[in-house]
Parts: sequence; structure tokens; C-alpha cells
Amino acid sequence: MNRPPAALRRRWRTGPLWLALQLVLSGSLLLLFLLPIYALFTYAPPGRILSDAGNPAVKAALWLTFFASGIAVLAAVVFAIPLGYLLARHRFRGRSVVESLVALPVVVPHLLVGVGLFFLLIPGSPLYRFTTAIGFPVYDTIWGVVLVMVFVSAPYTVLAADLSFRAVDARVLEAARSLGAGPAEAFLTVTFPLALRGIVAGLLLTWARAVSEIGGILILAYTVYPGGPYSGPVTSTLSVFVYNLFQAGDLVDAAAVSSVFLLIAFVLFFLVRLGERSGWVPWRRGDFLP
Amino acid sequence: MNEWTVEALESQLDSFHLGPIDLALVPGRVTAVLGSSGAGKTTLLRTLAGFLPARAGRIVRDGVDLTDRPPEERSLGYVPQGLGLFPQRTVERNVSYPLDVRGRTDALARARELLERFGLTPLARRYPARLSGGEMQRVALARALAAEPDLVLWDEPWQALDVEARYELGRVLEELREMGQVPDVVVTHDPSLAFAVADSFLVLRAGKAGVHGDAATLLAHPSDLFSARFVGYDNVYDRATLAAGAPGSLAAWLAGRSGAEGVAFVRPSLTRGGVSGAWEGVVRSARPTPDGFAITLRVDALAVAVKVAPSDATRPPPVGARARFDIDEKSLLVLGLPEESPRKEP
Repeated sequence: MNRPPAALRRRWRTGPLWLALQLVLSGSLLLLFLLPIYALFTYAPPGRILSDAGNPAVKAALWLTFFASGIAVLAAVVFAIPLGYLLARHRFRGRSVVESLVALPVVVPHLLVGVGLFFLLIPGSPLYRFTTAIGFPVYDTIWGVVLVMVFVSAPYTVLAADLSFRAVDARVLEAARSLGAGPAEAFLTVTFPLALRGIVAGLLLTWARAVSEIGGILILAYTVYPGGPYSGPVTSTLSVFVYNLFQAGDLVDAAAVSSVFLLIAFVLFFLVRLGERSGWVPWRRGDFLP
Repeated sequence: MNEWTVEALESQLDSFHLGPIDLALVPGRVTAVLGSSGAGKTTLLRTLAGFLPARAGRIVRDGVDLTDRPPEERSLGYVPQGLGLFPQRTVERNVSYPLDVRGRTDALARARELLERFGLTPLARRYPARLSGGEMQRVALARALAAEPDLVLWDEPWQALDVEARYELGRVLEELREMGQVPDVVVTHDPSLAFAVADSFLVLRAGKAGVHGDAATLLAHPSDLFSARFVGYDNVYDRATLAAGAPGSLAAWLAGRSGAEGVAFVRPSLTRGGVSGAWEGVVRSARPTPDGFAITLRVDALAVAVKVAPSDATRPPPVGARARFDIDEKSLLVLGLPEESPRKEP
């Protein structure tokens, strides 16, 4: 076996060569992230990006997208965190089945999600009649958008909550119980605050996945009409909106609208990270987390 | 009153069975629960605290049966291994926690009093991650005492503490005992500190109660290998090891005097000049101590700890040298005689 001389092996482990390798590999990936964004921003002239940002149709699509994804995140808070807790704290038969079920929406191509939901809620079916009767019609409404978004994005919160609850030291919890806290109180004062940071990270991923969804939305809510909590003009989610522009051959506007969205998303993520580092967001008080 | 009785308590953790255990816990008295790893010390504490259900027996406080009560209804100050401080709360909010959950409006004021008493006031706003081991111990104790518990349970309080902090903790525990309001149960495997603070001892072996009594009882009747080592015997041999000794060897001589478990004896002195004496060994190591030298000899297959008084030598014998010693047969401690265990406090 050929082995490099000892001096080279030492340099390889600790020296500039090792660092250079890391830089090249990580740099390549970052470049892959950056270049398409660069292409978008340079394809559309800055003036067009600005004017599109002020365009009422674009604003409606943006508003719908953020509004629907906000509802999806709320749904994740209500339904996904308890499921994560259940998985983290209880051993039960069929646990692996539940875990696989949670992972499924992440793996399934999202167009299939739309098709699946379509067959489930096919017009005339009992579930279709039921959802319509209780005021949650899904076809071409914001509820359709939210439904698809929750389906594809909630697993990220379930997984994050599961891991975060598991990471809470059981002895800390026992200390709380012995000091007089009942099960619910110990959860609210100890388990949940300690798991919060991980859960919030999961919610961020959920939100990111929700706003970027297109596959299922194309089938269930290609065009969104006002109704339910959405009272704006007829529009579509931003992903569908850009898809339409691109299909129509309006490349400059497709690039400009994408740029507007990317800017907003980047600023949001940047602010959250900044908040975490500076300690003024509620889930990272002091310096208690590793 | 705060008098606790534990009657024939048994519990089960997976395949490990604990008990039956009997204990009487009296305010102002510290009970040390001793035993090697896996003896059931933590299991006993967690059963007392209510985190493991009792399979049989009772836990009674002043005539009230608490056996089936959840942990939060037992009025405990429980300090788990690793202390269990709340990392997201400041020192002050850690200490006020038991009062916060009881909805006490004076929670913070009372916490501050305790911080003052434990010398923690300058650290009130710090988070546990930025405390030293000794400081964390004091916070854990202050927090355990904040709600004026009826029983304090400590799991390995001295774990991972430096010498200074251990000394300080011993002092704090003594102070606590002098206050005399609650009984304390301390799980430990550290003999010097257990002897410094505990009034009575319970030795656990594979989930069963061994010796139970005060320090004198434990010293006079260490009935098993663990207790013998624990109380300070340096030479402790189990029966199987001794039985393998060749005829005429020290091992065989000891085997003839061994109990069912083995035999123990304190360090004998090397005979003056090291020339006479019934037994001979080769010096393997020697280290200075406050009273002379502690020496390990290899005698056939056995390692024997012996000592040299400062008046006998100014320097230890060199490694590899031969040295002789005697063992007073009357000083042998026979381990595992049937009538020796279990021994209960009268």
C-alpha cells in the first residue's frame, strides 16, 4: 500500500492543505447556491425588480404565500409539536410505523401529494361535501394551499420537536417534579423552554418548505379565489405566479419577481439568525445552550 | 415532626430488583446509602422520590402513607446525580423555582435569603453553565431547601468536585444537619466524606440491604468486601482469589482463615529493618504519606499494602527490594460469616 511520507501526512492533517480542501469543497457548494441567485438578479434590471415589488398582482401573490404559510406554521405548532412529544416520550407498539409515516411527506414527490389529496377530496366524495359544508372548501381556495403546505412541511416540526424533547435531560425534569411541579407544570416550565430552540428551528424549516411548495398546489389550488380568511384579489401562490410568468415567456418578470421573493426570504432568515446570536429572541435567553 | 419510616420497600427497574429495604429517617440525622456501582443506591433514592413505583412495602411520613403519591406530593428536596439545575434559569430563578410552582408571592425574596445564606448572592444573575462545580452544588442545595422539604435526598453529591469544593460541601451538609429540621439521605461511594457527615449507614449489595447502623457498627462489622474497603481496610481479598494460592503461600494461609466472602486486614508495618517476619514480598511501589510510607508488596500472586512508620525509616525501601512483615492473626477481619449479615440497627 502506498502511504504518503510522514511529513506530508502531518501537513495533510493540520496544515494548509487540509484547510484548502475544506475551503474548496464548502466553497463549491456555496457557489452552487449563489450562482443561480446571481443569475436571477442580473437577468432582471434593478428597476424592474423595484417596479415588480410594487406591482399589486405581485403583492397579492406574496401576501397569499406568506399568509398561507403562516397558517401552515400555526398548524404545525398545534399538531406537530404534540406528535413530536409523543414520539420522544412514549414507547408504544407501532412507533416505527408512525415514524415512517412522518417521514413519508418528505420523500414523496410533491406532485403526488396533490394527486393524492385530489383523489381524497374528489368533488362529490363525502369528505368533499363535509369540508365544503363546514366552510373549508379546498379547491382553488387558501385552504387548499394551506392543506398542501401542512402536508409537505409539518414533518420538519415533528422531527425537530421529537429530537429536541429527547435532548432534555430527564434528571432536570425529575428535579422539577420533586420540587413540587406536576407533570403539566414541569412540561411548561422545564421541558418546553429547553426544547424551544430546536422546535423553533423546525418551525423555520416548516415555513421555508411551505413557502417553496408548488407541486401539490398546482393541482389543488392553481388559482386562489378570495374566501375564508383570504379576502384579497384572485391570485396564486408566488411559486405558481412565477411558474406562470415563465410559461408565458415573460422571463424578465419571472426573474424580477423571484428576486423580490428571495430578498424577503433572505432578510427574514438573516434576522432570525441575528436574533439568535444576539440573544434577543425569546428562545435563546442567556448562554445556556451549547 | 418529619419522621420517615421505610418498611420492606421493594422496587424493580428492568431486571434489577431492589429490596426489601427498611429505614428509619429522623430529622437532623444524615443516612448514607453506600454500595458499589449497580448495588441499587440510585434505584432506592428514585423509589423514595417517587420516580419508580414501589412493588411492595411502604413509605410513611409521620403516619401518612406516601407510597403511591407522585413525586410532587412528597415534599422532597431531591438532588439528582448531575444536580439537575435548570439551564435556562438564572441561579436566583433556580432557587425560587419550588416556590414559584407553589404560587408563593414571596418566592424571589425567599430565594434571595437562601442565596445570602449559601454565599451565592454575587452569582444570582448567572446561568448554571457559568458556575464552578462547588457553586452548582450550593445552588442545588439552596434550591432543594427553598420549599422547606420534609426530606432531603442527595445522589452522589460529591461527584466531580475538586478537593476544596468537597470540603466545603461537607461543611454545608454538617450545617444542614445541625439545623436539625429534616432527615437527609445521601448516596455516595466516598468514605471520608460519608464518615464526616453521616450518622447512620446502609450498605446495599445487589439490591439487598447489608450492614445498617452507625459508624461504629459499620467499622466493627463490615460484613462484605465492599464495606471492608469502604471503611478503610487496604487489604481485602475475596475467597476465590485466596483459594487459588499454592500450599504454604500467604494466600493459602489467609484462605484457611477466610469467611464465606473473604478476609481483610489493615496495613501491617514492615518489620524493623525488614529482616525478620513471617512473610516476605517484593516492593512494587512506595509513596510518602503524612505518617511514613505506604508500600505495596507483591507476595506470590497477592498485592499486600504495608506501611513504614516515619520513625523507622527516612526513605522507603527501593522498588524490587525484599521486605518482611507479620500479620497479627487476631487483626484479621473475617468477611461473610452467616451470623454477621444483615445487621440491623437496634
